[in-house]
Amino acid sequence: MAPTPAWVKKLEPSGPQGHELLAAERAKSNVPVEKLQELLFTKKVIDQKQKVLDVLKSEKVFDKSQNYFAGRTERFETALARAKRLRNLKLKHNWTLDEFRTASELISEPGPYGLHESMFLITLNEQGTPEQRDEFLVKANDYKIIGCYAQTELGHGSNVRGLETTATWDSQDKTFIIHSPHLTASKWWIGSLGRTANYAVVMAQLIVDGKSHGPHPFVVQIRDLKTHEPLENVHVGDIGPKFGYNTMDNGFLLFNKYKVPHISMLARFSRVNPDTNQYVRQGSPSLIYGTLTWVRSTIVMQAGSVLARGVTIATRYSAIRRQFQDRDAPASEVGETPVLNYTMVQIRLLPLLAATFALHFTGKSMMNLYSENQKKMNAKHENANSSRGAGPEETQSGSDILADLHATSCGLKALSSTIAAEGLEVCRRACGGHGYSSFSGIGPWYSDYLPTTTWEGDNYMLTQQVARYLLKSARAVIAGSAPSNDTTAILTSFRSRASIGCAFDILGSSSDLVAAFAWRASFLTFEALKHRDEQGKAWNDLLVDFYRLSKAHSQYMVVKNFYTALQSPETRGAVDQNTLAVLHSLFRLYALHTLEQEGSEFYASGACSKHQISLTRTTTVMALLAEIRPHAIRLVDAWGFDDWVLDSSLGRYDGKVYEDMFYRASELNPLNRITVDPYPDSDVLFRRVEGEGVRSKL
Amino acid sequence: MPDFTDNLKPRYDGTMTLQAERDASAINVNELANHLLSRDGFLERQEKVLRVLSKEKLFKKDQQMNLSRPERYHLGLARAKAIVRITRREGWDHEDYKMCEYLNDEMSPYHLHMTMFVTTVREQGSEEQKKYWMPKILDYSIIGCYAQSELGHGSNVRGLETIAKWDPVKQEFEIHSPYLTASKWWNGAMGRTATHAIVVAQLLLPTRDNPTKYEGFGPQTFIVPIRHAESHQPFKGIAVGDIGPKYGYASMDNGYMLFDHYRVPKSAMLSRYAEVSDETGVLKRHGHTAVVYGSLTFVRGQIIMHARLVLARAVTVAVRYCAVRRQFRDRDSKSDLDEEMKVLDYPTVQIRILPLLATTFALHYTGEMMYSLYHKSRETIEKGDFGPLAELHSASSGLKSLCTMLAADGIETCRRAMGGHGFGGGSGLVGINADYLSKPTVEGDNWMITQQVAAYLIKKMTSAVKNPTAPPTDPTDELFQFYLKNRDHRIPQNVVLSADINDQAIVDVFQWRAADLSFRAYEARVVEKKSWTKLMIQLHTLSRAYSEQILVTTFHNSFNNTTSTLSSPAPAVLRTCFRLYSLYTLDQFASSFTLTTAASANSIYALPDAILDLMADLRPHAVKLVDAWSIPDWLLESALGRSDGKVYEELFDMAHRRNPLNRTTFNPDWRSEEIVLGSGDAGHGLLAKL
Ligand SMILES: Cc1cc2nc3c(=O)[nH]c(=O)nc-3n(C[C@H](O)[C@H](O)[C@H](O)COP(=O)(O)OP(=O)(O)OC[C@H]3O[C@@H](n4cnc5c(N)ncnc54)[C@H](O)[C@@H]3O)c2cc1C
Ligand SMILES: Cc1cc2nc3c(=O)[nH]c(=O)nc-3n(C[C@H](O)[C@H](O)[C@H](O)COP(=O)(O)OP(=O)(O)OC[C@H]3O[C@@H](n4cnc5c(N)ncnc54)[C@H](O)[C@@H]3O)c2cc1C
Repeated sequence: MAPTPAWVKKLEPSGPQGHELLAAERAKSNVPVEKLQELLFTKKVIDQKQKVLDVLKSEKVFDKSQNYFAGRTERFETALARAKRLRNLKLKHNWTLDEFRTASELISEPGPYGLHESMFLITLNEQGTPEQRDEFLVKANDYKIIGCYAQTELGHGSNVRGLETTATWDSQDKTFIIHSPHLTASKWWIGSLGRTANYAVVMAQLIVDGKSHGPHPFVVQIRDLKTHEPLENVHVGDIGPKFGYNTMDNGFLLFNKYKVPHISMLARFSRVNPDTNQYVRQGSPSLIYGTLTWVRSTIVMQAGSVLARGVTIATRYSAIRRQFQDRDAPASEVGETPVLNYTMVQIRLLPLLAATFALHFTGKSMMNLYSENQKKMNAKHENANSSRGAGPEETQSGSDILADLHATSCGLKALSSTIAAEGLEVCRRACGGHGYSSFSGIGPWYSDYLPTTTWEGDNYMLTQQVARYLLKSARAVIAGSAPSNDTTAILTSFRSRASIGCAFDILGSSSDLVAAFAWRASFLTFEALKHRDEQGKAWNDLLVDFYRLSKAHSQYMVVKNFYTALQSPETRGAVDQNTLAVLHSLFRLYALHTLEQEGSEFYASGACSKHQISLTRTTTVMALLAEIRPHAIRLVDAWGFDDWVLDSSLGRYDGKVYEDMFYRASELNPLNRITVDPYPDSDVLFRRVEGEGVRSKL
Repeated sequence: MPDFTDNLKPRYDGTMTLQAERDASAINVNELANHLLSRDGFLERQEKVLRVLSKEKLFKKDQQMNLSRPERYHLGLARAKAIVRITRREGWDHEDYKMCEYLNDEMSPYHLHMTMFVTTVREQGSEEQKKYWMPKILDYSIIGCYAQSELGHGSNVRGLETIAKWDPVKQEFEIHSPYLTASKWWNGAMGRTATHAIVVAQLLLPTRDNPTKYEGFGPQTFIVPIRHAESHQPFKGIAVGDIGPKYGYASMDNGYMLFDHYRVPKSAMLSRYAEVSDETGVLKRHGHTAVVYGSLTFVRGQIIMHARLVLARAVTVAVRYCAVRRQFRDRDSKSDLDEEMKVLDYPTVQIRILPLLATTFALHYTGEMMYSLYHKSRETIEKGDFGPLAELHSASSGLKSLCTMLAADGIETCRRAMGGHGFGGGSGLVGINADYLSKPTVEGDNWMITQQVAAYLIKKMTSAVKNPTAPPTDPTDELFQFYLKNRDHRIPQNVVLSADINDQAIVDVFQWRAADLSFRAYEARVVEKKSWTKLMIQLHTLSRAYSEQILVTTFHNSFNNTTSTLSSPAPAVLRTCFRLYSLYTLDQFASSFTLTTAASANSIYALPDAILDLMADLRPHAVKLVDAWSIPDWLLESALGRSDGKVYEELFDMAHRRNPLNRTTFNPDWRSEEIVLGSGDAGHGLLAKL
């Protein structure tokens, strides 16, 4: 392409410039961005992030400018180069695990070492015996072997018990024979498996002496450590391009009567005794249960910041994007209106802005609860070992909270990842035409995030676990044998008032607002219980009810946690009264907007009246939008996304939206190096390509 | 290369599963397909064109998702050329050409040439201009695009910044971009392909008294050569290029363009409706521009009619896959020998897919209604009577917003309902999702244009209040008059009463809600004089309610005409679809129906159970209903949605045999900077590209 002509270089955007508009926005509000950011993340974490970011920015391999243009194979190649570099940097700068994770987060694309560094190491650590850890974990920690976690198959994902891969104990030579009897037994979707890993943890049905014992984990070498070619009778590869996640080599894997030694079966909780050929169970895998809870709580907390990216981009852009004059503008106001002033745009963005904070505080409190409980459990564990035995209440409280935490984390994982995924698309669409450009930065981020709604428990499936737990709690409440936790507390309180009703002042009192959410969730719980236990309805016929129930309960959890966080001394000490008031408006917006959306359930449960819902819709939500609007830019600033991370023309901190769009289109875009022959009669397609040729791959 | 995987079979046979589904329903698929798609010989045409295209290697789609952006455009251009040539070779007409584009299923770099470009010249050019340009356009000796939107303005066309200044001395226009934000942006085919553009620019004429001062006459259209016919380089004074990668539309070169005092002759301005007079240099307007307005309505109408096929495609994939996919045994099952359930039998899967299946038919009847309404009104308008245009315009705006949203969100809902495999390239929904998501924004942003609908309804309500007994001119008048007569003694209707569904009541509550929301909007704006911006959310809801009312009413009307002639059980099944679409929508916006006193609270509580029952009724027919939409496998390009149910075989074949990434062995060791094993390249080649 000819160099950009001088007359083009001279051009500026018309009207007030983006940076002026954002400066004016920032001047309108006194929310202390830094303080708020510290409240969200703590100073230590912010500084650490900055330090890591500076390192990454200085490395050429992390340059993002060609990401949006490349094909699948190039994207994977680059991702592998980045993964390697990252490992080097970790050693060079002596990064802690936290810092390393921060770096991955800042790079913001899944990488080919992803599953090695997470599920592979975790599984070896948690499910291996000391001997197995010596054998595998040491090498894995050192990347002498690179692994993945192969559970899902072509035919089965949600139903782990239905897996078809078998591991048959051969008592003759004391090996396991791993085999794929059907095509649907092929492992599928396995991250890092397609091209990268040379080892895999394979979940397979253990068969001993003709009897099946369900799925068990096996550590299996799949590729030669030198040639990196698959070993004989192992068939492995990448599953091909996907909606997103294209920097990751999700793979397939088949076995043809493949033998592995006895040590391969991870044996901390169960094993085959090689001498007696007996299957033996030992200990309970409740720690694994804990890991799942931890993973889901992390998803909840991340959902806030995942969404916050989209909200940051869309909010900044719509403060700069000006379109039409307000119909009712006084004659003196001549300019066009920033679209963020249109309530039609506000109603899409501001409740999501509120949701980012709601999810963040919810996730944080779940994590806290989890680690406190984990400490308690460990202490108990030690007590138990010292053979004194803990008192009955002791035992109860720890595990009851864990059960509660586990169930609520399922529901919250489903709710929060749905809010984040759908919210990102709302943000993208709110940006109008430019939202459709990759340079908006929202689309690619969204498509990489989408699988979160499916993995770690499909969002619809998980709601059944929540419902099962709530039904169980309700039965215990009725029987008077309920353990004490938040869930049983709200159910008990509902039951005590069920015959006298309630009168919540949802618009006047925030604690009443929270109580209304608890009321509706409890109401739905007992309704579902009636259907199942009294009317004897089939489980499957109740799935839609269960889905609604789980959603109601999780919404209650979010509202409650947000409210509690705002009451906490930690928050109250961190920011001034004005900021607290703004946060409080966000809380009310989130809660009331949700309530309005689910209006008929609140109304049917008697938690509030039709009139209250009508007022919420026409008056209160509108007033809250207006209250929050002036603070919108500073509130997204508080999320502290660096421009390098956002990689978005629309979301730039300095507001240079149009300059950046134009720069990327005209300077970075390889398509513009190509001159075509446009006429249908000519066979020639690309007449001239400046620089490198386009490889023809058709 | 043969290997041990060659003989492996899936645990359950997909083909037999789908056959069993088909055997379980008595619907006559051919008959229903003809009922849906026989207009203009759609089905025969589809078959004819498919036969030819599917033989051409160029149209094989299975490597598309691996390609980089420049490669996708390369391929797109090659296909665009091939389609023109094939059309000529086969002696096909324009409808056949459009069928090629439909089946090719990607945005062609010639798309704008044969749509907006040619339409604008045809409709806005003078006779003389048409005589000059049309032959060149039709034989592709020039290739055009439509350059209206700019970097700074899309929705607000009056705010465009590109100017066209009249120079009375040289009798030329000077086209100029005073700001960066004046850059044309998003214009399809402009980036690399087009030789000519329709440029929409603000017309400036010198004032009579002071020739150095200019007066604005609003946006006008100009036909402008932008690239040299031989070298294909842009002319001096023009900077033009592709705007870069997008969410979808990879094969299309949406472009940017700036002008530096670029001169075009007087004849460049399309002058059927307005012309600069030679002698006086003033703007002479002639004729009624409503026809132009009409063509916008037409484009929206097309989008509405197309929405059913888009959604049908997603639903086809989801229904077939979820009928083949098995996961878990029934929780209440007593026997270990029971097979796993088909996930389509789980209500939480049904509730995502079956209402959408019903929606495809709702979209169908409304699309057909729009088609005939448009053609009827068109005749009236050609005769100079612009009466029906306002109603048509409003209906098309509201429906464009609603229907594209239903289809766009529907695709994603179907995709997610398929769990992990929905995310994979084999779902066949990745491309359609990415391309279709442009539709909620283009041809009028879905949120923005609902204001036009609301404004129209407020106007209608205002006159109905003023004059409640004037003879009604359209269904909206009738509805509003009925509403005003009855609003003081409204009894909320029972849509569902002890498991009985009342179809007439369904239509009534949708209409009543739309009328009531119109009245509230009228009160707020006209009586209480509330600010427009404050009302916007309410107005958006109104537009949606009004458009839903059209969908429901039109679907219901079809029972009196066409559908009754179908053989059993199709009429009953379509009625189930009608009820399911309606009740599902009712349930989603339940509080809106109670707050407007449309529906009784009791029938609202009864909805969830009624919906479950309807889904159970519809379930056995699901596979045959999607078969009736007749989406060829070739277009679906989906392992999950194959009509023969060979889901897993195809997924595996795609991954194993057709995946280029598997042809490379990588070096995974971080200690080595080499990326491709044995290449000896320590990543330098890669770095050079960044
Ligand atoms: C990008 C990506 C990366 C992944 N990485 C890995 C990995 O590294 N390792 C690994 O082992 N796996 C991985 N997975 C797989 C993932 O864990 C599974 O896709 C997930 O568990 C969902 O299972 P499924 O695909 O079988 O969905 P299915 O269970 O087939 O779900 C299909 C539909 O049926 C519904 N359904 C299923 N059962 C029921 C029921 N009982 N009741 C009601 N509804 C039901 C679901 O809600 C869903 O709508 C990955 C997936 C993706 C998309
Ligand atoms: C794939 C694609 C292809 C295209 N092809 C062409 C082409 O060939 N030729 C061409 O000329 N153009 C083309 N366009 C441009 C397209 O017409 C515009 O993007 C579209 O009109 C939307 O305008 P916008 O981008 O300015 O959105 P904006 O108006 O900037 O919208 C931004 C946000 O503000 C809101 N908003 C705007 N105004 C108001 C208001 N008054 N009240 C309330 N809310 C408001 C919108 O709802 C939206 O949420 C294309 C766009 C895309 C995405």
